[in-house]
Order: sequence, then C-alpha cells, then structure tokens
Amino acid sequence: MTTTLTKLLRAHTGPMTSELVQRPGEFGLGRIPERLAPAAVTHSVCGFCATGCSLKVHLGADGSAINLSPQVDYPVNLGMACPKGWEALTPLAAPDRATTPLLRNPLNGQLEPVDWPRALQTFVARMKAIQAAHGKRSIAFLSTGQIPTEEMMFLGSLFKFGMGGLHGDSNTRQCMATAHVAYKQAFGFDAPPYTYADFEESDVLVFVGANPAIAHPIMWQRVMRNRRSPQIIVVDPRRTETAMCATRHVAIQPRGDLWLFYGISHALIARGLIDRAFVETHTTGFESFAAFLDDYTPEACAPRCGVSAEDIRDLASIIAAGKAVSFWWTMGVNQGHESTRVAQSLINLALITGNIGRPGTGANSITGQCNAMGSRLYANATSLLGGRSFEEVQHRADVASILGFSEAHIPRENSWAYDQIIDGIERGAIRGLWVVATNPAHSWINHGRFKALRDRLEFLVVQDMYTTTETARAADLILPAAGWGEKEGTFINSERRIGVTRKVARAPGQALSDFAILQLIAQAWGCGEMFRTWSSPEAVFQTIKELSRGRPCDITGIRDYAHLDEAGGIQWPWPETRNGLTPDSANSDHSALRTPHSALQERRLFADGRFFTADGRARILFDPPRPAPEMPDETFPFWLNTGRGSSAQWHTGTRTNKSDVLRKLAPRSVYVEINPEDADRLGIEPGGTVVVRSRRGGLRAAALLTATVQPGQVFVPMHFDGVNQLTFPAFDPHSRQPSYKACAVAVERADEG
Amino acid sequence: MASPPRAPSLHEFLDELLAEQQRLQTPIARFGALDRSDFGIPHSAVHTDLIPLSAPVPGEQYAFEVDLDACSGCKACVAGCHSLNGLDEEETWREVGLVLGGDAAYPFQQTITSACHHCEDPGCMNGCPVLAYEKDPVTGIVRHLDDQCIGCSYCILKCPYDVPKFSKRLGIVRKCDMCHGRLAAGEAPACVQACPTHAIKITKVTASLGREASPRPPFARATDASNADALARHPRPQPTFLPVFPDPAITRPTTRYVSRRPLPANLRAADADTLRPQPPHWPLVVMLVLTQVSIGALLSHLVAARPDALRYAAICGLFGIAASVAHLGQPLRAWRVFLGLRRSWLSREAVLFGAYLPALLVAAAASLLAVDYRFLTLAAPVAGTIGAASVFCSMMIYIDTRRRFWRAPLTALRMGGTVAVFALGFSLPLAAALVLAAKLGGEALSFIGRSPSARLQRGPLRSATALRLTLGAMAVVGLVFAPTLGLGLALAGELAERYLYFRAVDAPKMPGVSTNSVLN
Repeated sequence: MTTTLTKLLRAHTGPMTSELVQRPGEFGLGRIPERLAPAAVTHSVCGFCATGCSLKVHLGADGSAINLSPQVDYPVNLGMACPKGWEALTPLAAPDRATTPLLRNPLNGQLEPVDWPRALQTFVARMKAIQAAHGKRSIAFLSTGQIPTEEMMFLGSLFKFGMGGLHGDSNTRQCMATAHVAYKQAFGFDAPPYTYADFEESDVLVFVGANPAIAHPIMWQRVMRNRRSPQIIVVDPRRTETAMCATRHVAIQPRGDLWLFYGISHALIARGLIDRAFVETHTTGFESFAAFLDDYTPEACAPRCGVSAEDIRDLASIIAAGKAVSFWWTMGVNQGHESTRVAQSLINLALITGNIGRPGTGANSITGQCNAMGSRLYANATSLLGGRSFEEVQHRADVASILGFSEAHIPRENSWAYDQIIDGIERGAIRGLWVVATNPAHSWINHGRFKALRDRLEFLVVQDMYTTTETARAADLILPAAGWGEKEGTFINSERRIGVTRKVARAPGQALSDFAILQLIAQAWGCGEMFRTWSSPEAVFQTIKELSRGRPCDITGIRDYAHLDEAGGIQWPWPETRNGLTPDSANSDHSALRTPHSALQERRLFADGRFFTADGRARILFDPPRPAPEMPDETFPFWLNTGRGSSAQWHTGTRTNKSDVLRKLAPRSVYVEINPEDADRLGIEPGGTVVVRSRRGGLRAAALLTATVQPGQVFVPMHFDGVNQLTFPAFDPHSRQPSYKACAVAVERADEG
Repeated sequence: MASPPRAPSLHEFLDELLAEQQRLQTPIARFGALDRSDFGIPHSAVHTDLIPLSAPVPGEQYAFEVDLDACSGCKACVAGCHSLNGLDEEETWREVGLVLGGDAAYPFQQTITSACHHCEDPGCMNGCPVLAYEKDPVTGIVRHLDDQCIGCSYCILKCPYDVPKFSKRLGIVRKCDMCHGRLAAGEAPACVQACPTHAIKITKVTASLGREASPRPPFARATDASNADALARHPRPQPTFLPVFPDPAITRPTTRYVSRRPLPANLRAADADTLRPQPPHWPLVVMLVLTQVSIGALLSHLVAARPDALRYAAICGLFGIAASVAHLGQPLRAWRVFLGLRRSWLSREAVLFGAYLPALLVAAAASLLAVDYRFLTLAAPVAGTIGAASVFCSMMIYIDTRRRFWRAPLTALRMGGTVAVFALGFSLPLAAALVLAAKLGGEALSFIGRSPSARLQRGPLRSATALRLTLGAMAVVGLVFAPTLGLGLALAGELAERYLYFRAVDAPKMPGVSTNSVLN
C-alpha cells in the first residue's frame, strides 16, 4: 500500500524516463541508450579535416546510420573525435539538400527542377557549344579537397582526357598548395614526412601559424600525450588556444615570419649549432644559404619580425638543445605572399639541424581538408596523376599506358592555377565553369570580384549537396550530389594514411554520388567508352594503385578497401615489394601493420636521409623577404588576420551550420576580435557593432574585445560570408596560394541600428 | 560491379545508378558472422582512469573536475554528451563558453566547459513543486525524474547556471545526470569519454566551495611575462569556482575548475555584454496580473462593500488561475503540486490559489444570489486572507531566484502595486492614480544605468517599455477623469509591465560564446 502510494506520488519510471535508459552496447560500444542500439556497425573516415579520424557508424536494421562514435582502435584518433566528427551525420538531413537537378529558366530567372536526362543534355550541349565557339580550353573546373580520391581522379581525368579541357584547379589551392610546392622543390616530391606519433616523441615542438588546439584537436591530443615534458613554441601573432598551452608564445608581427626563421638560422649557423654531417651528406645549397644569411643577423631581423634579438637567439638555443625537434605549420604559413619560402625556411631549419627522418622530428605541414592529400596526388588538375608532370613525355606515356588511352588525350601543358582561372574568366578566356563541392563565392579571396565575374560566365554548373551555398544560388545548373556518408571512396590524411569512407545513408531524392554523376556525364558527353572500366570507386582504387607503382607514393601493397579497414588505414608508401621481400613473404608484415603503435603502423619518411630528388639530396631554398603588398597605413591602420574561429565550424559552414549542436558552439554571426586598447581609443564597446573596411569592401561585425590580438591587429573568422570582401588578392609566386592572413583595414564604431 | 555486356542507354545507366545510390549493404549481409561482443577495444574502457575507484563515503559526493590547463577548447564534450546520451537535435546538456582578460603582457583566454554542477543545495530541487528532483544519497548526483515533471520551468529560473532545459517535444525539462548509469557500471560519463585531452574527470569532494574556506583563484599581476613564468610560480593546481561564474553561495555547486595558470584580475565572459531577452512566459504574465487584480478588487469589496468589485475579482481570478494551467508542459500531472509544500514557494502558491478560487467563487455566487447564510458571508474574508498569502507566495517565487531584477523591493513594488491599484481603484480612484504613478516612477528607475535589465529595456525591449509607460500614464489620467476606463487601461498597463518583468530579467548563466547584442 505504502509502496503503491509512493509510486503514485513519485514517478521514478515511465515512458519519458525510458527514453534515456542505457544498456551495454554491443560491437565494442559502451553503454548507449536502448532505443539507439545498433544492428551493426561499420567504420568510416571522417569527411571534414585532414586528421583523418575513423568513426564507428552505428547502423539500424536497414543498414542506414542512426548514430556514431569515434573508433577506439584506430591509430589516428584513439577513440576521440572533434564536434564536427560527432555531428558528421546531421548535415545529411538538412532541408536544403539538392534532391533533383535545377536549371535556371531564362524567362523568369528562377532555378527550376528538371530531370537528370535534361540536366545532362544541357550540361553537354552548353559546354560543347562554348568549346565550339571559344576553343576547347574555354571551359574550366574548380573542385575540392572534400571528395574521395577516386572521384577527384575521375573528375580531372574526364575533364582533361575526355572533354578536352585544360584548366582545372581545386580549393586545396587555398590551403595546401604552398606545402605541396615547398616539399616538391625541397624534397623532390610532395611528401609530408611525419607520422602522428612524432607529436608524442618530440622534445621541442615548434608550431608556426598553426592552431591545432581547435583546428586539429585530435592531433593536439597527441601533443598532450607527449610524456617528455616538451618545449612547445608557438609562433603566431595571436595568443591562440594553442599559444595558451605553449611553454613559449612568440607573438610575431604579421608577415615577419621569414625574417624570424632566417634570424634563427643565422644564430644557429653563427654559433655552430648545426648538424654539419647531415648537411654535407644529404643536402645541397647550404653554402650559399650560409652566405645569404650574412645579412640576417638576429639584430637585423628583430625589428622586421617584432621578436627581440635576444629571443631569436633563445629560440635558436632551444632548437639546438632539442634531441628531437619538430616543426609544424598550417595556414599562417601557407597563406602568404611569400609562403613557399617561409615553408622552406622551416624545412631548412629541420635540415640544417638534422631534425628529419628520426622519431619526433621533421618539417611537417599539417593538412587542412580531409582529402587535400588525395587531391595533391590524384586530382589531375595542376599535376598529372600520381604526382607526375603534364610536361614530361615519360610521365604522359606512363599514365596513358596504365589508363589504356592514347597519349594524345593527355594535355602537354599545365593547367592554370585557381587565381589564373579567375583572371581567365575576367578576360573572357574561360566562358564555362564547373564547380564541384566548393563555395568560391564565399571563400575566394576578394570575393566581391567573384560575384561580378558571374556575369562573364556563359554557363556556371554547381555540383553540390546543397542548393543554398552562395555559389549554388548563382548557378545556371545545379547537379544534386550525395555527400560524405552517402558514398564510398578513400581519403589520404595529413600523415599520408589512406582510409576508407563508407556509404551509410541514402542520398535524398535523385541526388547521386559525384562518382555516379561523372559516370553519367562521361556517357552523355560521348566518351563513356574511355571510362568503361571505371565502374565503381573500388575499381578506380585499383587503377590508383597502378598509377602509384614505382612512385614515392607507391601503394601497390594495399590489397583493397577491406585491407585498409583491417589495418587501421595504411600510410603511403606501401609497395608490393618491400625490403627485398616478395609480395607473398611481405604478407607477414601485414599483421605488424595492424599492431597498434607498431613501427609499421606509424611510419615516417627519410629515415635513410635519401630524398626524392634525382641526387637523393634535399634542397635548401631561400629568397630575400619581400614586404607584404598591402601594409597598414594612415587610412587603413590595422592588419586584418583571418582564420578558423572554432572547432565546430568548417570553412564556409555549408555543412556545419546545419547542426544545431555545432551552431551552439560558436557565435552565430560575424564578429571581429580587437585589442581592448584599440577599442577604447575608437570608442568601441564590448559586443557593439563595428564596421571593418578595406580598399575592396566593408563588413559589419560585432566587436569582441580581447588582449589575445595585438594592438594594431584585428582578426575575423573565415566562416562568415563577407570576410573575403576585405581580403587582398596577393599570391605566392611559386604556389599561387592566396594570402588570406594579412591585409590593411580600418575599423570604426558603427551607428547602432 | 562487373562491366555490363553491352553499353546501356543513358536512361538505363541512370536508372541503374539511381538504384545503386539507394542501395545500402545491410548489416545482416555484411556483418552477420561477426561476434557482437568482440569488436576491437571496447569504448567502455575509454578514460576509466578518470573516474573514482570507489563510491563516495558519507559526507562525500561525486563532482566534475575540469583541468583548465588541459582543456584546449575543442568542445567535443558537448557533442559527445549529445550523441552518447541520445539527446534531441537541439538539446545539449553541456555548454561551453569563453572567458577573456589580461593585457598585452599577459593576454589570456580560456574555454570553459560546464554541465550540471550537482549542487549541494540544488536550487532546482528546492524550487520544484512536485519533487521531480532528487539528490542521490550516495553519489550526490542531482537527478531529474522525467515522468514526474509537470513542465512548470521553475527550476530553470531557480538554477543560477541555466542548466535545466525545457523540451518542447516532451513538455518537461531534462538535464545532465552525470551519466549515473555509466558511473554505476564503471564507465566514464560521456563528456569524460569524449575529451581528447583528459580535461574532465569525476572526483569525490567533501565540502562545497560555497562553505569551506574558499580557495581564491591566483590572480595575476600585469607583469606576468609568459605562460611559463606563470606556471612556474603556481606549481600546484588550485581548485576554484571562477570569479566570473554566478555566485556559488546560492546553491553550492560542486564542480571544480583546476588551473596552474594565474587568472587575470580583469577576467570576463565573452558574452558578458550580450543582451539576452528572456522568454515572456505569457501564461504567467496573465496569471500574475489577473490574480493580483482579483485580490485587489476583493480587498476593495471587503473594505467598501462593493459587489461590482467582487464580481470583477471573481472573473479575473477565474481567468488568471486558468491561465496558469496553460503554462505547464504536462498539466495532467499537476495534481502532485502539493508535494513540494515544504520547500517550494511555487507549490505553496499553487495550493493557496487552489483554495482561493473556490472561496472567491462562493463569495461571488452568494453575493449574486443574495444568499446570506452566516458561513457564506465568511467566504469573502477567507478568500481575502488566502489571496493575500498567495500574493506573498507569488512574490517569493521570484525573489527566491536571487535574480537582481526580481529582488524583493522591486518585486514587491510591482506585484504589491498591482494589488494596491485595484484595491483602491473602485472606491478611491484618485488614490489609485497616485499609487500607480508612484509605481511607474519606481519602475522607471530600472531603466537607468548599465545593468543588463536597464539595457534590455532601453534596447531590444524598448517598444514594450514605451507601451508600458504610455498605458501607465493614460491609466493615471483615466483614473482621475474616468475611473472605469482608467481601471481598464491600468489592467492593460500591468500586463505590459509584467511582460517586461519576465523579458528584462538578468538571467545568470555560465560563460557562453556569443558576442552579439542581437535578438536570437
């Protein structure tokens, strides 16, 4: 009686309580809500950044994803994911997914649904008409680092070998082109040398223009696992989240980086703190570098980089004292007007101190997009498949023979880079543009101009998951694409690890994987026969293996997708024949490949000191620093820096803005970080509205007052539309990568309204 | 997929690809042979070193401990909690924010993660009218009984940390339960499991920060040159509840934030200046104003024998108390509302209103039918007494939240003022006009200054503020020249006043991320 009464009065159980009741999950899961118990699980590499985390996707009885959690026994993420990874399934269900092709009706200017045959016919007819009138090269494509390698390779191959186009580039130009060129010139191949274990094995970690604490949090996990009490030096104009965790923050002046690293090199060489044996055996160019550095004493460099001569010498001493020193860089280096030489100034530091090829060392570029590394090798955009050159006869012949085409299909010239394609549109040289899974109307530097360029294009095709991106809204034709999680393929992560991404959800409506869209376009264009054997992503993966044979990125030892799954991803190189073993006996390696933290599962390059240049030596490359093309002045007195705002936001937000959880984790509208001293002087109140103006455009934003930006500098996160109306279109001459990190702006208080 | 024997037409090929796109490999086909219990390293083993080995002993409880030096700001804790607990799409039980400070010599930023603080003296639990919260006697975890909750949202007002969240789908609130089921099974809570840098752990604590000799955060001097210096001078972590958080003395939160870095003295939450208009709670606006008008009118009748005022009181009382039901997410469970009498002002108010209304209606009916049985004539004074007590409870509900805009003098002015205006308005309209003018003057004081409530009323809520003042001024004039019209205007004005009372309140919370002074 009492119990009944108690139960009646206090409802400890019931339907709402049961919603959250957990039970031990099967499939290696911990306790999970009963109603979300999976029928099975599968593993899939995340489709946001280049860390390459593996996610364990929980599947319902019909095989579609109901939830996910990070995979525990994957060598990259060790059971962790950042918020984007946790929320990776959410953007698939967004209401603005493209579910059918849309064609702009010339009568009313509206995008209207059409069926696939009509869309394909229009694509082919319009592109061919442009080619007929203006030449084969008057069409171009802009793609992405966000789709699997197999799809990138299909796009670049179809466009260049099938459709006769020449000019195509990818948004990896905006993030990784510098690292690509810097490595290619210095090492003879685009080869980031490290493995993530190096984060754990360094005595000294130098992060330059990198904020992994929030930009690559799962890599930062590895830094936190370092048990050597390492020195962590962060070179960044801002006191970033990473700088907060550093043992030493070097608050450099914008664009002072080349001066700083030349100053450190000078101090090292002047005090004999270099590895002369390594330099003599494995590098070329040291003597002229040392002579060049005569002018770059710490005293000469100090005023140019905002770091005192004493601190420059200190940094040199720390680097010299470290037994294993690693240098890590990201966009603060890659996005600059002389970025290739800055990246190489870090490579030079690693080379002259012999910090390469050993555990915990290296000059290491942290990659941005999930498959920027795939793009760099196989996008067939500005370099020929497999890291080859369009300009080399032998390379063209090799590719033609592997693909079974006539060599005549392969262009003999390089493509224009992204900015040159944009210039080409302006000049009328490019009349048709095909944009795949990227949003240049938001992201391209000085994008006010991009919007004007729309009118110069006779035909703009956007192939995307969403109809609402800034670029899709301007399109003549939208091709509805399946997204990550709705298709298969492989990504290559920042440490060269190839991993599989899986189809775990049905694409909405008539959306198709980019792979299937390319198959259809090939057929509709009339070159389907050339790609007859490109029947599935996994079939193309077998071709990729052949393209890699004998190259530094040789992966002929990888069997298939299942092999990648079993091994926890496999880093390139993994040739069929290793260490003199035949393919059969090499199989014994495969179990070691699966052993966590084994030397085979986590491999680095250049242990033997042999680089990929013809003579096996690394090149020491340098140039005198040049002033930034736009510097603050009286009218525009602030440096504007841009970059990642939070771990919950990805680039232009086309996916991350679709998750309520991710939207809660960052401010919802654009803001500008400004030093309280500057704000005080300008009468700007916390949270007040300000106007940021450059010579190219203006932006209204909320003021976030913070001492983490230096006086005279402001920072705007890149995720909000409008920030790239401000940026200055400067490009590195080697990599053609735009300089998003430094231009001159004025800031003033806005009239509230 | 094998190559087709002949080249298919484009349409055939398209159909084939569309079908293929919709085809998923079913788990049965793919994983049928796999042993469900042996699937790599189990997730249940992740971070189990970050939870206590044994249950708390008497005098102890479980608490979150956040290592601020390890927290890099990745925010995975929020997303991991959301996914592993199967929360609704827009629902999160953990929040992150940013605190900023320092100067050029020592710039400082820090991400703050917080969930329920599982307080020693939980405001949510003390305020709940139906005992839908309980504090586990062993673990100290403050648990919410989802099937007991009536969805009154009072716990949201009582919690200084904005922890309980209302679910529209369910009509109840839900909140963090420290993954008590996982802890009981020896697993780490979801947020602990999800943190790549081991920044969150579960500890056992003995005394709350509000009560013990409070460990003060190590404030930094402006001369701190670098992080390394700061770390060297503060080798041992100090557990602390940061000074920018809401006052821990109110509910004695148990979460500890640990850091070796000194905190700058000028530390502020990044969203400290963000104006956040609060929900209007329309049913409460109507309920509070109408019940107070009803009681005022009843008092007028009791003093001056005004049957018209009594009828007015009955109608307002009826609609006012009916409106209170519309406020509940789960009204059918509201019969349990007496359970919280011992602790909850809301429970007391509800019980008193439950007695007030019948007494009032009996008095009104007796008056209307001119029945004068002796005990019936007692109905009006009894109703008046209960009514006066219930207005006191209404005030205490809001005063008890410890919000500045709702502190005792301001709440008494507003609610007591409403009663007074209507107590005087029927017989002494000039006096009512004076009282209302004084009330308006008192309210106007809250528009001045830099407080969030003042800035809200001058900024995002300025239309409502203008409406309130206009109606109030018109009512004063009306009471002087046309008392009936004046009372009507006064009623409308009080509704506008009460709307502002809810919307302009300064709701305390943990630091957030927003920087924008805009309405969401």
